[in-house]
Amino acid sequence: MGASTREHEESAGSAEPAAAPAWRGRVEQFEVGDPGRAATRVVPVPDESAWDRRDTVLDGVALKDGGRRVVAELRAASVRGLAHRAYGTVRQDEYGYRRTPDGRYLVVGVADGVSAGALSHKAAVAAARRGVNMLVHALRTTAPDRMPWPDFLRAVAAEIEAIGRKRLAATGTADPHAVPLREVANLLATTVLYAVVDLVPVAGAHEVHLVSVGDTSAWVLREGGRWEPQQAVKNDGAEVHSSSVQALPLLPAALPPPVRTTVAPGEALVLVTDGVGDPLGHGAGAVGRFLAEVWAAPPASGLEFAAQVGFARRSYDDDRTAVALWPVAGT
Amino acid sequence: MESDKAKLLPFYLVIDVSASMSGSKLEQANQIMPKVVDALADAPILSDKVRFGVIDFGSDAQVRLPLCDLLDDEVTLPALNVRGATSYAAAFRLLRAELESNVKQLKADGFQVHRPAVFFISDGEPTDRDEEWRAAFRDLTENFPIYPNLVPCGVDDANPRTLATLIHPASGPKAMRMYLMEQGQNPADAIAMIAEILISSMLASGQSMAQGNSGLILPAQQDLPSGISAYSSDDFV
Repeated sequence: MGASTREHEESAGSAEPAAAPAWRGRVEQFEVGDPGRAATRVVPVPDESAWDRRDTVLDGVALKDGGRRVVAELRAASVRGLAHRAYGTVRQDEYGYRRTPDGRYLVVGVADGVSAGALSHKAAVAAARRGVNMLVHALRTTAPDRMPWPDFLRAVAAEIEAIGRKRLAATGTADPHAVPLREVANLLATTVLYAVVDLVPVAGAHEVHLVSVGDTSAWVLREGGRWEPQQAVKNDGAEVHSSSVQALPLLPAALPPPVRTTVAPGEALVLVTDGVGDPLGHGAGAVGRFLAEVWAAPPASGLEFAAQVGFARRSYDDDRTAVALWPVAGT
Repeated sequence: MESDKAKLLPFYLVIDVSASMSGSKLEQANQIMPKVVDALADAPILSDKVRFGVIDFGSDAQVRLPLCDLLDDEVTLPALNVRGATSYAAAFRLLRAELESNVKQLKADGFQVHRPAVFFISDGEPTDRDEEWRAAFRDLTENFPIYPNLVPCGVDDANPRTLATLIHPASGPKAMRMYLMEQGQNPADAIAMIAEILISSMLASGQSMAQGNSGLILPAQQDLPSGISAYSSDDFV
């Protein structure tokens, strides 16, 4: 120890130019406006009922065509909210993505477990990951524009319901199958949004099919930083703020029709839970400008994207999840 | 544009400073604000959303602490002093005016405002004419879209029957409760306990908000400090 210190002093005292520092880099919080106290003062604590549930998950990958050409860049992150960190509750958001084996379609699922349900994170995992898997399977035989979406959503709802009934059985409910579905939903429920993106562009643009239950939202970030919502914005025109949401395993009486849009190079398809959607609002405010700037092009890494998703802004402390896809122009 | 709205949770303390409140009761009343500050300092999720204001009333009513972020460096806590009679009418009128202008301003500033919570602490009967304070109370709670969740708290000579009529909403899923000092309890200690109830309901409401709910959460009877009891509006007829 002493020897190495001496060596260091000798080299520092020599006339040679200063050596490059041995390391560099930093992690810094993104802030939009007043970051609030929670961003720096919350002491994160674990949820002691779910040790294997990660605080933050993220991805940053390029999708290639059959050869070496990159067709699209994908960034994804799901970040536990400050309130859940402070109160020791798991992240209830989840995302999943998967490409069909033929390489044609990218399937993305984004889910937001309903806060009140103790197992809602399991509903979100089932909807986002298992749901994406089921959808990829269905796409082997059915094109997206012919997909029987109500049947598919019913199948996802059944998966979630089965998890709930299994848990009820494990915790001593005598006849879990007699429990009304609404009560199962009190234990676990989730919003979900699915996107099927055709990775083969037509006239340079990729077709996107979107289906959702609840307030998880899809946007296309058009050129010039304009946020284009792909469905009605939450609470628009509502007199009072409403926190009741549609969520699986309960199926809404009328499923909203699938939305079709396109996304082209220079634009991004962005799917978000309300932890991002609420501060984003209509996209015209400070958060909309911030995300439009940093997502004008794909961030360098999944880690950087996750840091941006986790931006600090006073009083916004919900779980945050975003999956974004940037098509890349062919050469 | 309706965009990007942060949520706020306004709390008001409306406190009786009539002559009978002098001495140790006033001392404890003056401890409420610093206790709330300490609680918020340890609860950053909540302190980012709570706004707190204080109105006191004797013969008249005064805004002693305009609705504010209590942890803001520029905030100076006022010292409460006793003055005169017990005008509930003056308190309700000023509270209504404050609610109206504060909420209007916060909405204009782009916030999404939760229904205000009011802890009303008194140690005696109103000295105004009955129909006068009752009319002022109706103006505060009926046909007023910004009506507060009103939690009356009584110590010493406060009349339970009178205070029970101030619980608002009095019924329904979001009914409020009243907190009363038990017989023989030291009234100054009771004020300190009411401060605890105010703080725990603030913390519980913040946590409930984090679970996607809205509304004021009041502590249940078994969680109350001894010496204080909770009542609903139909406990007194």
